[in-house]
Amino acid sequence: MSRVFRVPVAPARSGGVRRYDTTERPSAESAPARAGIVAGVLSPHPPHLIYAENPPQNEPRSTGGWEVLRWAYERLRKRIREVHRPDVLIVHAPHWITMVGHHVNCVPNPRGVSVEPIFPHLFRYSYDFRTDVELGEAIADEATDLGLVTRKLHDPRVRVDYATIGALHLVNPAWDIPVVSLSANNNPYFYSEASLEEMEVLGEATRRAVERTGRRAVLLASNSLSHLHWHEEPELPEDMEREHPYNNHQYRWDMKLLEAIRRGPTAPLRELITEHIEATASETKAGSLTWMLAAMGWPQVPGDVMGYGTIIGTGNAVVEWTPEGGHRG
Amino acid sequence: MADTGIVAGALLPGMPHLLAEKPAQCWADLAAAAREVGDRLRRLKPDVVLLLSTQWFTVLGHQFQCDPNPRGEHVDENWYAYDYGELRYDLRFDVPFTERWTDHVNKAGMQARRTRYDGFPIDTGTIVTSALLDPDRELRWAQVSCNLYADAETLADVGAAGAAAAREAGVRAAVVVVTGLSSGLIQQWIEPHSDHVSDPGHDRWNRRVLDLLTAGKVDEVLKIREDFARQAQADSQFRALAFAAGAGATAGPAQLHAYGPLWGTGGAVLSWNLP
Ligand SMILES: [Fe+2]
Repeated sequence: MSRVFRVPVAPARSGGVRRYDTTERPSAESAPARAGIVAGVLSPHPPHLIYAENPPQNEPRSTGGWEVLRWAYERLRKRIREVHRPDVLIVHAPHWITMVGHHVNCVPNPRGVSVEPIFPHLFRYSYDFRTDVELGEAIADEATDLGLVTRKLHDPRVRVDYATIGALHLVNPAWDIPVVSLSANNNPYFYSEASLEEMEVLGEATRRAVERTGRRAVLLASNSLSHLHWHEEPELPEDMEREHPYNNHQYRWDMKLLEAIRRGPTAPLRELITEHIEATASETKAGSLTWMLAAMGWPQVPGDVMGYGTIIGTGNAVVEWTPEGGHRG
Repeated sequence: MADTGIVAGALLPGMPHLLAEKPAQCWADLAAAAREVGDRLRRLKPDVVLLLSTQWFTVLGHQFQCDPNPRGEHVDENWYAYDYGELRYDLRFDVPFTERWTDHVNKAGMQARRTRYDGFPIDTGTIVTSALLDPDRELRWAQVSCNLYADAETLADVGAAGAAAAREAGVRAAVVVVTGLSSGLIQQWIEPHSDHVSDPGHDRWNRRVLDLLTAGKVDEVLKIREDFARQAQADSQFRALAFAAGAGATAGPAQLHAYGPLWGTGGAVLSWNLP
């Protein structure tokens, strides 16, 4: 049984975010039998998806757009609520860039406004969520034990980035599941790629920590796929007449990766992810997808591609993996 | 010295270590050099200072800061555990000049985008630079982002558009670019005194580039820039120099005020045509 008190899921509210009552106890029927990593999700974060949804937390208003991807997220939300019922969402996101080491957000209640530096006209989001601090610290400790350079963030003034918020909102807009957020150890000045070997180690550390603390966790890899995009924006950002793959090469490579994902198992993806990065400048170069599949032990299962679409020309897929022996609901 | 247009230039690193309470000697030397450049820059009394920091990177067009007075606190997402990770800022931007600059960028066939939002994340490099160069907030800045995908020639055109705007407005302007040299970080939590350029090859490249700049050979540096980027992981491919050169801020030999390591990366303080 998890040591985190799982909060009964509330419907998405029309205003603000739900606050936790940490004295709440899990009810018998909501206590799932199995702890561990119960699912991994490729959950891209382009701010356009949140902008298009018009949630109360985001200040800019839109007329919609990118519906097919947003419908995929709606199906995923339902599976998370009804099937996976996690104690915690663990997210690895490429825009909390840490130049030295892998950082874990251990702030109990991060809150503030996150203004997206590149698309500030689309994303000015008021966030307020709970961290599973015990699990966060356990992940950092396991990672240190495995030889990674790490740091625990305790300063509540550090602004939470839009990729972390984006994936978390899209998966769970009610924000009623505790969170652990991990940084991406990249060099922002040289726009380097993460060491995918280190991401395997971080994945292993994550799995050990989840098991040690007895959590039921869903992992979120907050990455887009092919990553070439338009450099100019239409007058109406959600003008879908202008939305299509950057080019056929990028699209074909995304399909090659997604077909391999749909076929399963995941082991061949190890190599294919690297080739896909090489071919498409995929955002998976930040290492989130590798981290997640490594944490799941590169399971012998196919992934469920729930949706694919482009955003300013980049490829984005919502994909769910459930581990071997896990029920697919 | 020209009466209007670009009259001087400076290049300095934007790592927050320059503001450390207990710095390594090399960080203190770089900080003192930056303060000296600030003193001399203010003596020049420019009407506006064109600013580009590689740490404000964007991907859509060229973004211009149009908030006249962003102010607040920025806790750096990597260096928050150190005193120098905690940064306060209160910046004065010359918005009418910035508007003029954006018009010139648009006229040159590039996309200029205006940014003015409460809570917009001001980058660490900009905050560190303004704290060192202008502690009493006497200067007026005009800032453009560093587009990740713009090639060096395009950034040079953005700089040239700024210079044209300055001439058209009849103002005296300086150019400040915030960039490191080699960017190979030491991937450990180190004590300040153990800082060193992480790779001797990077150090050799940095010194070669600095020798050329102090000899007044900017064009030669621009020619070898891509090799520098590849072999020494130059910060943002050292495109900031192309921006400064495009603006006409790098005429003649540079004065080298300091060079040293910043957590394994290379940092230098350089100036052109300061009194
Ligand atoms: Fe992204």
